[in-house]
Order: sequence, then structure tokens, then C-alpha cells
Amino acid sequence: MSLLEELGAQLRATSDELPTGLVSAAMERLRSATELLNWVRQTSVDPMGVPQLGNATEHAEHAAAALHLAQDAIAAYLGVLGLAADAGPPQDSDRADGGREGQVAPPPRLEEPQPPPERLGPWWQDRIQKLTGEAPAGADEEGAERVRVDTGELLRRVAGSVRSGDRARLGRDLHAVHASTGLALSAVTPPVLHRLAGDLLGHEPRPEDVPRLRTAAAGRVRSLLPGTPPALVDTLLARICRAPANGDGPAHPADSAVTSSVLTGVLLARLGRDATALDAITPDAGTRRPPSTEPATPEPLGRHDADA
Amino acid sequence: MASVAEVRAAVDAALQQVTEGQAAIQAAREKLGEAQQSLAAALDGSGNDAVSAAHASLSQADQQLEECLGATLLAVEQAQTYTAML
Repeated sequence: MSLLEELGAQLRATSDELPTGLVSAAMERLRSATELLNWVRQTSVDPMGVPQLGNATEHAEHAAAALHLAQDAIAAYLGVLGLAADAGPPQDSDRADGGREGQVAPPPRLEEPQPPPERLGPWWQDRIQKLTGEAPAGADEEGAERVRVDTGELLRRVAGSVRSGDRARLGRDLHAVHASTGLALSAVTPPVLHRLAGDLLGHEPRPEDVPRLRTAAAGRVRSLLPGTPPALVDTLLARICRAPANGDGPAHPADSAVTSSVLTGVLLARLGRDATALDAITPDAGTRRPPSTEPATPEPLGRHDADA
Repeated sequence: MASVAEVRAAVDAALQQVTEGQAAIQAAREKLGEAQQSLAAALDGSGNDAVSAAHASLSQADQQLEECLGATLLAVEQAQTYTAML
């Protein structure tokens, strides 16, 4: 390799290693955060950090543009050196492979323009498709459903789909709601999960109960949500049992919400109860539904109970 | 019906996203610093305009990332102040 070739290779390597993927990943995270906060503060005058996040996203966009300019300048200089034939601007990792840095995996569709708050739906639908493997149904039939379903009703529907083991139906239930309705599952499910786990175990969930609950529920959750991060179920079970979580970091908010709801359905099924049993224990339920007729005292989970 | 717990959970979820974004920005700045050093060593002695442009663009990228990080810190502070009052 000649000196010139060596210099060219070094410049290309430097250009290729510019952190465009990381910057794009950061932008995507900031946009997601902005969407969530915009949803929360729709009717509030408190900015809740949204303007600052907008500024942050703008700075990140400028940084990304500057990185591309640097890559173009390096490519131009390689041309000056006479190495232009194989020294075009390096493939943008965002456009080519979605980012290669690996430590912060960029979500799909990084280069889409920033969606306004009303476009939370597609963001949610994309995530549901990833989690369930089920594509969304036609837009027309979904539209009418989204008006009527609240979070309590969504949880009941998810539990019904889990009980029937119908992943396609589960996907339809989740696709058919607004993102705000789905994300609110994260707030509704924790007390329900704690209560159901206690009923299943026959006592208040304790840290040492995590393996038993994992045996009882994890396999079925993963079969219904093949796209859910493997560590997330363990994290949720640890929370139920008030045990330290050993997750790989914060999960995507949609993942937590959806997996919590499916875990609720699985625990209900293990107790032999149907979705109407949620009326008695879901925080905002009970006013719209008749009281549950399910048995109040389930059979506790055996120590070696097999997965359903 | 929404609850305080629901609002807090949603804000916490947003702050998780911001935290991940901050981690990505910090990692990007580290890589950028390495790239600047590598470029400076390789192009030492060059007076070509393209080289100057590359250096300037990398400096600008780093400055933008620094300001980005600062803005996220302000955003987190404001969101946390809000949830603390709930």
C-alpha cells in the first residue's frame, strides 16, 4: 500500500466512523420524549420541558448536518488526492443500515420528519407490529374503534385475547387504540398485576417468588409477544415482587405498557378467570361493568407449576 | 379516567427516552473527539480548503451536540419540577 493509499484509507475510516448513527438515535429518542410530553400536556399551560426538547432536537439535527458536511469535505479532499474513484461520500449509517454503533440501537424509520402530536398513532402501530408480529388492519375499521375504547376496556380486551391464545386478535386490539390509551396501560396494570400475582401465589408477592411467576407466565407472554425484549418480562415480574430488577436499561414505553397488559391476561388465565374479573380490581373499572362473578379465592400456584 | 400515577408514568417514560438520548449524545461526542484527533494527525500540514471545511464542520457538530445536551438537561429539570408538584 502506497503512502497515498494509506492516507486515503485512514481518511475514509475516519469519515465512516463519524457518529451519525448515534446522533440519529439521539434525535429519535428526543422526538419520542417530545411526543409523550406533548400528549401529557395537551391541555396544560405548563411547558414541561417540551420547548427545551425542541431546541435539543434542533441542535442534534444541526450536528447531524455538520457531520454530513464533514463527510462531504473529506470525500472532496480524497478527490483532490486523486482517490475519488472509490472515495465517494461514505454510506450514511442511518440510511444504509440504521446505525452501526450498536450501544444505542436506533429505532426504525430514523429519517422520517418529526411527527406532530397527532401522529402518535403510527408510532404506536409500528411498535405494536414489532411486538406482536401482527400488521395493522385497514385504517377505516380502526378509526371507529379508537373513539370508543378506553384503557380499562383495552385491558379487558387484551386479557380476553390472551385467554383465547389468539395473537392476531391481540394485535388487532392493540392496533385499534390511540397511543395515549395504550401507553396508559403502564399506569393501570401495576396494582392489578400485584393483586393477581398475590392471588396466584397465595400470599403477598415476595422477591423469592420471581422464579415461580416466571415459570408460570413468561413463556406464554413471549409466545404472544415474540418481539418483546427478553429481559422485560423479568423486570416486570421483579417489580411485582418488589425485587431489584436486572434489566438492560429502560424499556421502550410501549413495550412496558403492552407487556404489562399481556402479563395481566396471562396471570388471569392462570387463575382461571376471564376478563370480567378485572372489573373488581382495575382502578377505573367497576363503574361501567357489573361485578365479577368469578371465584374470589383462586387456587394458589404450586411451587412446581408448569407453564400454561 | 386519568390519574396522577398515569401522568407521572408517562412523564417518566418520556424522561427515560431523554436519558437514552443523552447517552447517545455523550457517546457521539466521544467518537467525534476521536475523529477530530485522527483527522488532525492525518491532515497535518494540509492547507486545502476541503480540509479546513472538514475541521470546521466537526467543530460545529461538537458544539451543537454540547448545546443539545444542555437543552435536554433543562428539559429534564423542568419536567421533574412539574411531576414533583403533582
